[in-house]
Amino acid sequence: MKKIRRLPLSDIFFGIISFSASFLVLTLIFSTIFVLYDESSLAIHRFGIINFILTEDWNPVKEIFGAAAPLYGTLVTTVLSLLFAIPVALGIAIFLSEVSPHLLKTPVGIAIEMLAAIPSIIYGMWGLFTLAPIMADYIEPALQNTLGQIPIIGKLFEGTPQGIDLFTASVVLSIMIIPFIASIARDSLNLTPNLMKESAYALGATKWDVVKDVMIPYAKLGIYGGIVLALGRALGETMAVAFVLGNRHEISASLFDAAATITVTLANEFTEADSDVYLSSLFYLALILFVMSFIILAVAKFFLLRAERGYSR
Amino acid sequence: MIYEESYVKKRKIKSFIALSLSTLAAFLGLFWLGFILFDVLRHGISGLNLELFTEDPAPPGIPGGGLRHAFVGQLEIVFFATIIGVPVGMLAGIFIAEYARGTKFAKTISILSDIMVSVPSIVVGTFIYAILVKPIGQINYGGILAVAFLSAISAFIFGAVLNLFVSKILLKIIKITSESAVKILNLVITLTTVLFGIFLFIYLMPKLVDRIQGFNGWAGATALAFIMIPVVLRTTEDMLSLVPWSLREAAFALGASYYNVIKDVVIRASMTGILTGVILSISRVAGETAPLLFTSFNNSFFTMNMNEPIASLTVTIFVYATGPYEDWHTQAWAASFVITFFILLVTIVARAIIHWRYKG
Repeated sequence: MKKIRRLPLSDIFFGIISFSASFLVLTLIFSTIFVLYDESSLAIHRFGIINFILTEDWNPVKEIFGAAAPLYGTLVTTVLSLLFAIPVALGIAIFLSEVSPHLLKTPVGIAIEMLAAIPSIIYGMWGLFTLAPIMADYIEPALQNTLGQIPIIGKLFEGTPQGIDLFTASVVLSIMIIPFIASIARDSLNLTPNLMKESAYALGATKWDVVKDVMIPYAKLGIYGGIVLALGRALGETMAVAFVLGNRHEISASLFDAAATITVTLANEFTEADSDVYLSSLFYLALILFVMSFIILAVAKFFLLRAERGYSR
Repeated sequence: MIYEESYVKKRKIKSFIALSLSTLAAFLGLFWLGFILFDVLRHGISGLNLELFTEDPAPPGIPGGGLRHAFVGQLEIVFFATIIGVPVGMLAGIFIAEYARGTKFAKTISILSDIMVSVPSIVVGTFIYAILVKPIGQINYGGILAVAFLSAISAFIFGAVLNLFVSKILLKIIKITSESAVKILNLVITLTTVLFGIFLFIYLMPKLVDRIQGFNGWAGATALAFIMIPVVLRTTEDMLSLVPWSLREAAFALGASYYNVIKDVVIRASMTGILTGVILSISRVAGETAPLLFTSFNNSFFTMNMNEPIASLTVTIFVYATGPYEDWHTQAWAASFVITFFILLVTIVARAIIHWRYKG
């Protein structure tokens, strides 16, 4: 009788190769953090952590660098774009799961997802050549004439509308992240059991009541996950913003001023950095961005996993 | 019951308004898509001509010329990114979906790669810059690693093709039936593969690492592969988990090893899905700009040499669009048109295949 080998050689060989491939993923993440930290250690030692984050100066000549301006720009564009995107994306999700006739669901759904497939550089070009002039000529003056007249909020709308500013960048970003929120929210809404919806209808609820009081509470975790995921995406978006934000390392209250985000600073200055401290500070910015987006994406993943577990119960 | 009727009416009106607003939101989304696509089409069509693909750029400010250098560079970078990224992603996906199915390790890798998919691509660019571009004049560990990796992957592909050739063609013609002969043949194939890998490493080492000075095409390809790996990994994992477990059990019952089950049953059953995922990941990577900015950089001349800075379509669009010449803008729009519609077409076709194969 032939002896049966427990583990054939091919199995061991293939197992080792595929294991090292999956281990590589782990290695890539940790080596990214390590290499970025290593490269930025010069800047970390010179400027510290708190000091770097709070300093507004960005002066390559005097070799003083601070991340306050790009951090502020990143924060403002991200928050504004979420503010613009969330209502629209939720509206789209509700339309796709409840309002739309059956025939339209797939085509409209695919069309919305196409928005996510368009390369970010196309958003940037479009923002620069098409949206920015429209913003400067029509929308921003209109905003100045209405909202700009209100005493305190008016500060946000001061200055000459150029079109190349925080406001335009946020609008472009919001269009980019709509599909992320919309598709996840739609999938979560669709998971509401029919039994629950039908019970609500039987109690005399209107369609909006069902959406508002049954479906959205049920899909809450999934929607949070989608929003946080979009937040992570908006944080790290480079090209779409690089075209329409200028690159100005100053914090100003007005949304109609050019500004900088971490990504834009990196894209514009990385190849021009001529001193070690300069390059090291840019690596420091990249490290901050990486850690920030990693944490935010982990939170998003946590929500989505919780949501999945909740639905399958 | 007048009170109740008006109350019902109020709620109905409220519902109508809310749902109309959501319809409006959907139209707004479609409006943005139409607006962007129409604009790319409108501007792009006018700049589209044969010269764009066949000629290199004219000196700045002088009309004429094309973007051949960028098209070729883009193809080259994406091709090598695929060569590096797809095998790694697929193997890793196979490992966590098959050998490590259900373990903590598999879950961790799966979650981490989900996060990696969305990590800012510009950070990937800075990372690759630090390991593959910056080390000039010192021992280039990143370069050595990259070459070792490249030769390993090439040897792997070489071995697979050789194996296929021998088993599908040679054995059919010569008709070897003796088991020990097959074993010896297998050994020969393995040895040839390993030797090929070592030869490639020794051959490429001085050619690539020494000559790489600063920005180079390999770094760009590696950066794109970095982005590709988690995408391919996740699709492979998803597609493999769709293969029913009973199919594997049937093969196990016939005495097949796990490797054979994976090779002949699981992969075959999920090939369409995995290939579609690969195509989707290629289209995703083809539109990336940020990771190329400081890895493959840019080059205004035609080159096929990956050791030099090499032009890519996306970086060229960035440079041309922010440049001062009207002619550059036209060409940037034309290039955007090509890249956008290529990506949209690929995405739609791939999605249709997945839809037709797995849901229909």
